[in-house]
Amino acid sequence: MVETSLQQHINQQLFEKLELAYFCVDQSMQIIDASENLENYGYTGVVVGANADDCVDFMFGLDAYTELDLPMVESPSGKKVSVSLLPRDSFLTVLISSASAEADQRQLLQQKANENELLVEQQIKLMKQLENASEMLEQKNVQLEEASRLQTSFLSGVSHEFRTPLTSIIGYTNLVKQALQSAGDDGSESDKVQHIGAVQRSSKHLLSLVENLLDHGKLDSDEIIVRPKETDLAELFNDVELLLKPLSDGKHIDFIVELGFEQPMIVVTDDSRLRQCLINLLGNAIKFTDSGSVRLTAKLSDDFLKVGVFDTGPGISQENLAKIKLPFWQAADTGKAGTGLGLTITERIVELMGGELEISSELGCGTQVSFEIPAPQLDAEPKPVESQMLPFKQAKILLAEDDYDIADLIVMMLSERGYEVSHVDNGELALNALENQEFDFVLMDIHMPIMTGYDVLRELQVKGIKTPVAIMSASAVESDRAKAEQLGCFDYLIKPVEIDDVIRIMNLAIDQRA
Amino acid sequence: MLKKKICMVGDFSVGKTSLTQKFVNNVFSEKYLTTIGVKIDTAFVNDTKLIVWDVAGRDSLSPINASYLVGASGIVLVCDGTRQSTVLDIKDIWQVVKKRIGEVPAVVALNKSDLEDWHIDAQQTAYFEEQGWQTFETSAKDGQNVKALFEALVSEIG
Ligand SMILES: Nc1nc2c(ncn2[C@@H]2O[C@H](COP(=O)(O)OP(=O)(O)O)[C@@H](O)[C@H]2O)c(=O)[nH]1
Ligand SMILES: [Mg+2]
Repeated sequence: MVETSLQQHINQQLFEKLELAYFCVDQSMQIIDASENLENYGYTGVVVGANADDCVDFMFGLDAYTELDLPMVESPSGKKVSVSLLPRDSFLTVLISSASAEADQRQLLQQKANENELLVEQQIKLMKQLENASEMLEQKNVQLEEASRLQTSFLSGVSHEFRTPLTSIIGYTNLVKQALQSAGDDGSESDKVQHIGAVQRSSKHLLSLVENLLDHGKLDSDEIIVRPKETDLAELFNDVELLLKPLSDGKHIDFIVELGFEQPMIVVTDDSRLRQCLINLLGNAIKFTDSGSVRLTAKLSDDFLKVGVFDTGPGISQENLAKIKLPFWQAADTGKAGTGLGLTITERIVELMGGELEISSELGCGTQVSFEIPAPQLDAEPKPVESQMLPFKQAKILLAEDDYDIADLIVMMLSERGYEVSHVDNGELALNALENQEFDFVLMDIHMPIMTGYDVLRELQVKGIKTPVAIMSASAVESDRAKAEQLGCFDYLIKPVEIDDVIRIMNLAIDQRA
Repeated sequence: MLKKKICMVGDFSVGKTSLTQKFVNNVFSEKYLTTIGVKIDTAFVNDTKLIVWDVAGRDSLSPINASYLVGASGIVLVCDGTRQSTVLDIKDIWQVVKKRIGEVPAVVALNKSDLEDWHIDAQQTAYFEEQGWQTFETSAKDGQNVKALFEALVSEIG
């Protein structure tokens, strides 16, 4: 008896603890027994005689023979319950117990897990989008680079086109000036000589602008070449002064040049590059200065040339100082024209010459630009007039050049010095001439119709014709020079060529053959 | 009066609960609350009383519990049009259904049609056609095709 009551007691306790409720149905789903506490879960109307299909939602569709566990079913009260269907002989017992605690725990866990997984999915999706976006960006970049490359090659192309006629303008004005000078020894033509001088200076200025454009295309590719040679610094600075004076005069500002040396001052440097830098820096200074002065200082110490350009212009803000060396950058509010390339190129050239461009400025206080480059000094001998220095050697010259203006100019200048010059205007004719006649020296353009200069060099090698050939090219690109030299050219001159350079090289070639 | 038990199945968070609530109570909530176990609701399609079992989705912690499916006359297969994997998972889920209760009538809800990053193409839904399931682009949010979905299932059940 004690045992039975203990068992009953335990059963009672468990029943209450699990909030256990139950009902039994027969095989037609009719309720044959039901606990009273079913209502605690919201199951109402579960009374003997009722149909379980109708009064208990989860019972619909189930049968009385199959054992089944339905965990965590939401009961009408909102509480989660565990349902067990236990078939026995001729009836089915349905046990319902509370699953609230388990469900709550499960809810927390599951919610976290699912949210996490959604987050991960979202992340993967975003990563993919990011990848796509960066792929697109890369494509855009390639397109931009291509566009920039096209722009650069367009600039180089256009500047090449400009360079040739400019060269001829400069050459012809030189001829006119010489003619005027010798015709007017009495000074009667001095006005015209002055005017022609102005034309010449402007042309040279224009040429240096064109050179900037050409160089811009080479900024990235390390193709700007510096070739130091003996140079009279004093003459170079005087030239630059003469070239830019009209600009400062035109703006009614003072242009002061302070040189720490006297003529002649022979050093080793690339005169045309140095000239280009000075023109760029002074051109900028004059352009941006509306009143006051622009001052150029230059001095030599311990084989270093120190140059400074000082202006009293509006100055540059700290913010803009950082941007000023970028290509094409121009302070938006200056309203000044220009290519915006000068400073970028100057900085690069100064670097190549072994120096560093320094800029300091403050709004309202003007701008100072300076650099220092190696310029080893040579003993200054009085410099004789060049043409007298060069000995004349009788020579028969073949000139191959398709630009008639340039060709005429060269023929004229060489004939003037007593040389015999034949001119042809394409590579094929040049080759024919060399096969059939004896020449001492060939001066040949690279870009010509029918056969290029390269083609001719190649053929000459094949045919064993050894006449020395000097190539004239508008291209300062090192690989072009290397190619020509590989094909056996005697020397490679960059246009515009100086007639004295031509004669010097020719003399050398003739000496070597003799 | 006709009475039918149907079950909503599919991966977690595809919108089973939302579609059920839209259909039964015409409400929608943006907030995501994971369904635990099962919730049973009733609604009418014409004079058929539907007993809708909104079953917890298949997820990383648990497969769908096939006991809930016992006695169902039809199945609504729900997937999320913005999550490709949920579309592909229908195939596996159908195997579970088939194993427990056989090839009962089914319809497919491609849910969340109101969202922009919709990823469904014909290749992914080819399986649905093979099975001969009517497929609906649904939105529990704006109600698109929700009624049509349940009506189609009822007529499939016959
Ligand atoms: N925009 C939009 N969101 C939905 C749609 N259906 C469900 N959701 C959202 O998706 C999430 C999961 O929905 P739920 O019904 O709980 O998915 P279940 O796990 O399949 O029951 C919730 O945040 C819902 O608000 C829909 O058609 N459109
Ligand atoms: Mg749910």
